[in-house]
Amino acid sequence: MAGISQFDPQLFVKILPSLAYGAYITVKLTSISILLGLILGTILGMGRISKNPLFFSISTSYVEFIRGTPLLVQIMIVYYGLPAIGLNLPAEPAGILALTLNSGAYIAEIIRAGIQSVPKGQMEAARSLGMTYLQSMRYVIFPQAFRNVLPALGNEFIALLKDSSLLSVIAIAELTRVGKQIYSTTFNAWTPLLGVALFYLMMTLPLSRLVNYAQRRIGGHELA
Amino acid sequence: MSLLKIIDLHKYFRENHVLKGINMEIKKGEVVVVIGPSGSGKSTLLRCINRLEEPDKGKIIIDGEIEITHPKADLNKIRQRIGMVFQQFNLFPHLTALQNITLAPIKVKKMPRDEAEALGMELLAKVGLADKAHEYPHQLSGGQQQRVAIARALAMNPEIMLFDEVTSALDPELVKEVLDVMKQLARDGMTMLVVTHEMGFAREVGDRIVFMDEGVIVEEGKPEKIFTDPQNERTRKFLSMIL
Repeated sequence: MAGISQFDPQLFVKILPSLAYGAYITVKLTSISILLGLILGTILGMGRISKNPLFFSISTSYVEFIRGTPLLVQIMIVYYGLPAIGLNLPAEPAGILALTLNSGAYIAEIIRAGIQSVPKGQMEAARSLGMTYLQSMRYVIFPQAFRNVLPALGNEFIALLKDSSLLSVIAIAELTRVGKQIYSTTFNAWTPLLGVALFYLMMTLPLSRLVNYAQRRIGGHELA
Repeated sequence: MSLLKIIDLHKYFRENHVLKGINMEIKKGEVVVVIGPSGSGKSTLLRCINRLEEPDKGKIIIDGEIEITHPKADLNKIRQRIGMVFQQFNLFPHLTALQNITLAPIKVKKMPRDEAEALGMELLAKVGLADKAHEYPHQLSGGQQQRVAIARALAMNPEIMLFDEVTSALDPELVKEVLDVMKQLARDGMTMLVVTHEMGFAREVGDRIVFMDEGVIVEEGKPEKIFTDPQNERTRKFLSMIL
């Protein structure tokens, strides 16, 4: 066993383009999913504070189901389960769908906390001027809520970026999968896997710096 | 004919019966000042009028025809006719003073932006803050914020203005500038329903004083009558404590 001495600088340089492409796929899938998740999460977050019992219970059950089950299982349900009911998705769209459904639930809780961080008087003032509930949300509550939860959303993005490595199980050529493939053809574990880890770090470190900076700017409000 | 008519209004917070059958009429151009100890239901009464609180029983009618308390009442339309100013100002912190004022005219009344901004500047001038149009709320003093809040409510061109203890959160030296704006408004003929602890203001500006205690109207009348010759024992006791 050669152990870490297996690390092969020449191989490392050779696989850099492949890893970079894998990283690109990872960022692409994560970004699309977080944007779609933001839409889903905003709707669900409103549901979590809705006085409509149906909207509330659907949103709450959904959030609890997603947060109480592993992402890996969710990915497999979307990819292997949906075709059984006639919905046959290629790997990438299935991956995006799974990540969106997952992040939507976590973002819902972030949005809910954000909305609740805005004082009640803001909604009352908006409504007293004749604005509808949705207008008040859009022009008065959300701009303030969003600003308050920007760091939490950044952290969710970082978490999802790392979790997207699970998409490797459904044959999407994202960063982790690329590393695994290189390993299985070269039988060199250290070189590709260290490379993979490095690429993740290069993406997450600047992002978490950015989140910290945003948090300080806002004054470090504690939000769930 | 009265602009606002309140008939046998009741409100409960769980078992707590906070409004016990309020009857009140306000004529166009009248300034009615509601006084009374804290917990007497004054603020709740105001908040029922634009249905920020749901009354449990009774009717509120605006303009002799539209029933605010009707389950199918178009609240967004009705609220445009009723301006409200809050104790805590409730300015929108992410918008400038001018944007605070123009938001509702633009989004609710679909007023063109330049027209709304002209109106906003006019109203800011009226409350003496034309030079603060582009400042954010946190850059303004409490008194200035409250004057912007008054201008914001006026921008919807309401028929009646509700003032809910609007000087209670202010430092003493900032109270006068807000009261002065309200006095001017009263002189201009605005119909006003004012909940306040400022007895000097009540006496000077009020056409009628309403004394509330424990969810009922105990006594009402002209300011000179209420302040110099109150008929009810509770009114006398309250006034002796604060004057």
